[in-house]
Amino acid sequence: MSNEHAVRTERLWKIYPQDPRPVEAVRGIDLTVSRGEFVAMAGPSGSGKTTMLNLVGGLTRPTRGKVWIESEEISALSDRRLANLRMHRIGFVFQSYNLLPVLSALENAEFTLLLQGVPARERRERVRELFREIGLEGLEDRRPPKLSGGQQQRVAVARAVLGEPALVLADEPTANLDSHTAEALLDVMERLNRTKGTTFVFSTHDPRVMERARRLIRLVDGRIESDHEASG
Amino acid sequence: MARRDNDIWWRMAWRNLWRNRRRTAITASALSFGFVAAVLMIALMDGMLEQLVSNGTRVITGQVQIHADDYRPERSMHDTMGGREGLDLAALVGAAGSVTGVTGVAPRAYGGGLISSGDETAGAVLMGIDPRREEGVGRFGASFVVGGMPGPGEIAIGNAMAGTIGAAPGEEVVVVAPAADGSMGNELFTVSGVFRLGMGGFDDAYVLVDLGSLQDLMAMDRSRIHEVAISVDRTDQADLVAARVEEAVEGLADGLVVEPWSVFHEQLYFMTSMMGAANGIIAMIIFGMAIFGVANTMLLATFERRREFAVARSLGTSGRSIVRIVVCEGLFLGLVSLGAGALLAAPVVVYFHEFPLDLSSFIGTYSFMGSAMQPLLTVEYSWDGPLVSAVALVGTGVASALYPAWRAIRVPPADALASR
Repeated sequence: MSNEHAVRTERLWKIYPQDPRPVEAVRGIDLTVSRGEFVAMAGPSGSGKTTMLNLVGGLTRPTRGKVWIESEEISALSDRRLANLRMHRIGFVFQSYNLLPVLSALENAEFTLLLQGVPARERRERVRELFREIGLEGLEDRRPPKLSGGQQQRVAVARAVLGEPALVLADEPTANLDSHTAEALLDVMERLNRTKGTTFVFSTHDPRVMERARRLIRLVDGRIESDHEASG
Repeated sequence: MARRDNDIWWRMAWRNLWRNRRRTAITASALSFGFVAAVLMIALMDGMLEQLVSNGTRVITGQVQIHADDYRPERSMHDTMGGREGLDLAALVGAAGSVTGVTGVAPRAYGGGLISSGDETAGAVLMGIDPRREEGVGRFGASFVVGGMPGPGEIAIGNAMAGTIGAAPGEEVVVVAPAADGSMGNELFTVSGVFRLGMGGFDDAYVLVDLGSLQDLMAMDRSRIHEVAISVDRTDQADLVAARVEEAVEGLADGLVVEPWSVFHEQLYFMTSMMGAANGIIAMIIFGMAIFGVANTMLLATFERRREFAVARSLGTSGRSIVRIVVCEGLFLGLVSLGAGALLAAPVVVYFHEFPLDLSSFIGTYSFMGSAMQPLLTVEYSWDGPLVSAVALVGTGVASALYPAWRAIRVPPADALASR
């Protein structure tokens, strides 16, 4: 198995048992994402975008098939090892930000570093440095309800990338943001992708994200309909 | 995670606790109320137990007794301490009295006989006492409705017996009793006083006689007694004091037995032990009920935050850490409730200690097992009740969190994130 890929899936299926018929959310997808790619998965609602991200991120287990993160096959890992894998190698950005409301912006951002056991001083330095870069300076002590949607999503991005994961999975990260904020956020992520080589995989409906992506994968009914290089 | 960063879970738990202040306040109030109820109930039960033990031991028996080893349970007049030769009474009383925790020592002799006044005769337990020493052990001295303790050639009788034989202070009565030498002793005594203990079995049967006078009547040497009754400063320390007394009197005579009230008053001890156990069971019921209520609230609180737990898990938080957050919340809830409960319970307990509830308008004194319960609800200061209740309260908070914590980590993160 090559170490050049960030993600690889092989005949990946996810079927949700449901009455009257099981739902086939992902239907035998083979996918390889190389390191450093900036990939958008687009498709209508119910096409399997979010399920794919969850499968790749180890948040749910495949019904059939396999998933590799770099060289590690994760479909059969224990919950504990999956948690460890997510902590060190995968960052998540969610559509509705999903910051922990009892923690300040700084505490949210440093959460993954804290899980990784990074010393407090180093954590704070890294958070403050990134906050300066992404325009969150001065907001460190604010709790999520006191931040705008754009600010919350930037904190979420900071949380996702500060642990220096190989892969960031972003589920419709711009869906709740206005145009200006969405563009600014994409700037941040694109810059991180270029400067740190972090692999980004988005699920999105947003044309702005699709325009920025350097590879666009279209999903329909749980299958890849098209997969091609984009202008990005 | 580095050990020094573990406080993040405590911080999150503490902040989570106050996200819904009203709900936390209501839940904490319920727990605090349970704590106050448990503390007050245990204190009231302790008060009743203390009253039972106190009335059972402070009226007559004392909390520790010394006998000849074969005296109980038959209580034969021949089984005096030191055998037929007796012992050095002053040395025995002095040795027992010097023990730490002892507050009074009273030597006694017993006999059985008949007491007659005019045409009336009644059976009686003749109790030979040293009136001065008896005051430090029993309550006879404070129970006289008329007259006082007997001197040489005098006796004191209970009010019920006084009514039966029709005798009053200053009048003469005849006492007939079997003597130790096989003869029948009889003597004329003057009634020195009439006592009323309010306990059945004493006021109608016990007759107090000066120790020397009774020994003379029963043809016993002055060195022969049946019992030394000892009072202690703390009833719950009787076993310890008994052990010390045993050491102190060792060697004064052969076959001396020193027993605490839990041995010679075994029915009373059984009764108080049962009541103590009932205390524990009632406290368990109170907090057992609370566990379900609090667990339900915490289950709701964790259900509302299932997305947050899913986010934390998606970032790499272990299930163990999630459990730790929820259990810490339960612990904090227990501690907050304990603080509030302690503030409420303290004045209530102090009030009922200072001003016992007088129920004499509804019920009278009830005597049983050689003791008596007065219609007074009083509370006894003790650390045991509050400590047990505090541990139970905090334990309730933690136990209530276990199931919600388990539930919190059972939901797959993707499912929780998908829910709205």
